[in-house]
Amino acid sequence: MSIRNEVPTQEDIAKIDPLALSHMRPDWSASQPITLAQKRWLFAVVAGVAVAALVWPLRTAQVLIAVCTALYVVIMLYKFIVIRASLSPSALLRFSPQDLVACEPREWPVFSVLVPMYKEPETVKQMVASLEALDYPADKKDVQILLEADDDATCEAARALSMPQGFRLTVVPPSFPRTKPKACNVGLALARGKYLVIYDAEDLPERDQLKKAVLAFESSPDNVVCIQSRLNYYNPRQNTLTRWFTAEYSAWFDLQLPGLAALGAVIPLGGTSNHFRTEVLRELLGWDAYNVTEDCDLGVRLARAGYATRMLETTTWEEACSRPAFWIRQRTRWQKGYIQTWFVHMRRPLALLRELGVVNFLHYQLLIGGVTFSVLVNPVFWMMTLVWFVFRPEGVAQLFPGPVFAAGAVCLFLGNFVFLYVNLLGCCKRRQDSLMWWALLTPFYWMMMSYSGWRAVIQFFRDPFVWEKTQHGLGSPAGPAAVRRG
Amino acid sequence: MTEDRKTYRWVRMLTGGVTPFVLAVALLVFVRVYVSACVPGAQEAGICRELLAGTTVGRQALFGSCWVAPLPVLFYLPFAWIFPEPLAGMGAFFTAWFLVLWAVREAVKATGQSGVRIVLAQTAVVGMVMLSPQAQTLGIRTALMTLFMLLGGAALADWAAYRRIRDVVTAGWAGALLALCGLPAFVSAGVAVGMLPLAACGKRESRGRIQAWVLLGGLPLVYTVGVWILMNRLVLGDPFFFVRSLSYLLPQPGVFVLAVLGSGLALLPALIMTWVCDARTPEAPGAGPVAASAVLISFAVELLVCGWVLTRFGVGWHVGTLYVAALAVLVVALARLRQSPVRLAVALGLFVCLSRFWLGGAPVSELSAGAENADADIPRQVEAFVESRTPYGRVFVLGYAGLDLLRGYTGGRLQPNLDLHVGALRRAYPGQNLYVLVPRPTGAARSESVFWKYPDLYVLGGDRLLYAATFGTWRLFEVVTAPTQEQWDEWRRAAESGN
Repeated sequence: MSIRNEVPTQEDIAKIDPLALSHMRPDWSASQPITLAQKRWLFAVVAGVAVAALVWPLRTAQVLIAVCTALYVVIMLYKFIVIRASLSPSALLRFSPQDLVACEPREWPVFSVLVPMYKEPETVKQMVASLEALDYPADKKDVQILLEADDDATCEAARALSMPQGFRLTVVPPSFPRTKPKACNVGLALARGKYLVIYDAEDLPERDQLKKAVLAFESSPDNVVCIQSRLNYYNPRQNTLTRWFTAEYSAWFDLQLPGLAALGAVIPLGGTSNHFRTEVLRELLGWDAYNVTEDCDLGVRLARAGYATRMLETTTWEEACSRPAFWIRQRTRWQKGYIQTWFVHMRRPLALLRELGVVNFLHYQLLIGGVTFSVLVNPVFWMMTLVWFVFRPEGVAQLFPGPVFAAGAVCLFLGNFVFLYVNLLGCCKRRQDSLMWWALLTPFYWMMMSYSGWRAVIQFFRDPFVWEKTQHGLGSPAGPAAVRRG
Repeated sequence: MTEDRKTYRWVRMLTGGVTPFVLAVALLVFVRVYVSACVPGAQEAGICRELLAGTTVGRQALFGSCWVAPLPVLFYLPFAWIFPEPLAGMGAFFTAWFLVLWAVREAVKATGQSGVRIVLAQTAVVGMVMLSPQAQTLGIRTALMTLFMLLGGAALADWAAYRRIRDVVTAGWAGALLALCGLPAFVSAGVAVGMLPLAACGKRESRGRIQAWVLLGGLPLVYTVGVWILMNRLVLGDPFFFVRSLSYLLPQPGVFVLAVLGSGLALLPALIMTWVCDARTPEAPGAGPVAASAVLISFAVELLVCGWVLTRFGVGWHVGTLYVAALAVLVVALARLRQSPVRLAVALGLFVCLSRFWLGGAPVSELSAGAENADADIPRQVEAFVESRTPYGRVFVLGYAGLDLLRGYTGGRLQPNLDLHVGALRRAYPGQNLYVLVPRPTGAARSESVFWKYPDLYVLGGDRLLYAATFGTWRLFEVVTAPTQEQWDEWRRAAESGN
């Protein structure tokens, strides 16, 4: 069955509820970022610590430092386990070009592709070209370019192009919140494919990615409803920031996510190139339009519903944010989204524990909570370390009783190095050898992450739904061209 | 498929869990019953006790010598924290040898050998140690060094054979941890890490990525040594304190360094073999199993040569450790060859018998093995001697040997001291009669910092140090200091009552 190249009417679109999740399952939505009960808990903890700090300042500081150090040690060990698991053959689903040839001729299912765009007219042409180049039967592609009605520039740029077969424009009417997942929900409602994938406008997926995703679904058990492709950047050498960013992405998508997949853990999905079984996604009511990392949230919801996610050995190339100011905004959004996600799913911790099971519950806490925790707490420990090395004050030594000091020293000398080494390893696996030297300077990148982390905390309480859009098109045009040349 | 998986799980449990457990227990029982001179973790326990007490001496002892390296102490520390003696020593000993046997499995299974061959190799390693039991070869340090030699050597061999990134990572980390096992392993660590980029030169593709192999393989070693140097700067005030003893022990340190590095040349044949195999199989990612065997054998030879060089220069106190590691690597090399289990069993049996020639000839470290040092009576004798002379006496027992001597001591009069500063002691303990207890400077005890600071201390005493008595191989010196008013009063009273 091929699909018709028809455009849905605005009346059809107006009937769609892009906020279905928040309406039908408000307990799963970040529409209320933090519940009253959570506020009370948070207040009680903060007030308790404050009172304790006033009454027993030294003892309180010692306990806080001991708790933080213990968590650091656990996170470090966890990272070891995940990286070790990434060596497992089951970490990635692999399909060679020969596998693809061997399965032809065959009938490929309809594959829906959603491309949300907002204020990025300059990328429309490249996006259409890259999706047209995908090695998939044109009559089985169902590509929806999701445009915002009030984004005239992008709408005009898209309408000016003659769309290939299987491509259509879907104009999303303006409404609150103005987020990518809201547009994706509209696209999901109109999708015709058995499978569905999201790409960002500047994405360059490998040509055979859709076919590999189909084979991955077909070779996996029925409970595997999401296949995550690896992401990487096509402009790593643009400046120092893009080098660090690429090193981090290589470690995340080439080591840590495959490791999590091998462990059968909750996977915080990457923002794009996640392939779904469309029906299941509809069952789960799509994305949470209020969550600014809707992908991470969806990964957790999939696990809560008993579904699994696997990693696919294929890459989608993106543009690394090259300007610090834009990078900080993007990272703030990601970290705010992690905080949102943590609070949403911790509304009923026992229910979460029951649905995920003990092991996956711990994965969830270490992944979503642990990442945020370490990003926020790092600067405090860096400052203490610096003060101790420079001034050797008695006070700092008092804060670290024997075993805490030993654990802290392990974190300082081994933990930090291991985190740095993981980035090196990611670059090496990606064959980005020249980036490895730059990855040695990653601690400076961690400082930027911590700054964004604290910004995210403030924003979470002030403007929880603000979507700080990542500015694309700042990279050299040679990057995408090089990827296209292969 | 399911049956295969079940079998695989059984084999994994047998070779990775059950056999190492049983053999490690057997070794522990053997040591407890038959080798009375050996107290597992004797030296580490002394340092851990100070570390847990949070003393400066503990921190100095942890980082202050390349001969008594930090890793065995850090390995022992959690056991010392959780268990009392001698349980801590037994726990650490058992765990260390369990890990060695697990490493044997990892090293042998890389070539897809069956479970029987792995068990035979594990048994051979334990048999080898049991047939030539020495306190040194049964130490925790020996176990850890063998563990990382096996992991590093096997990773190096697999890297030559298959060029997998995981082998670079394993070899790099094993090298770094080996360096933390002390000086005898420095060279092997460096050689293993240095070999990584060289072995990759045989193929154009891997040759083009040399910077990746250098960084990935070499960085852990460089970082580890860097941290050790930093710790010496912070704790002892001298970044190279831990290697200062070399200039005292070796009249020509430059020649020694060259000779030790020269032992790395033993790997040259393996390197050439790897390049030749690379050239003959241009389509394969690596040089194949032949090159792997060559690397393993050469690595073992390098260890033996290194041990020989250390002995020739008079600092071969730990060569027994090197020999055990080398022979274990050879056992693995044998077990990785494709042959029937019966032939392998015979070959390993012969090998174990022959290994007695090597291990039997290894000198025994006086520091770790000497029953004299472990003599619990010396502290009591010294205490009684000092108390007979003054109620204000305090005795500083010098060096790592002192930590060992005070292992079971619970009194307060004797305390360890690593970095002897007579003036500082006098300022810190005004009004007390101070003594120092000095070990005999033979064997490993020669490397103690007190002897490269005061070379004639044991024979002649030193500035403000007067000979007082001898206890076994130890000599007690009194720190001469001006008497305090209390002492004058006490002596006067004593004289008056005497009159």
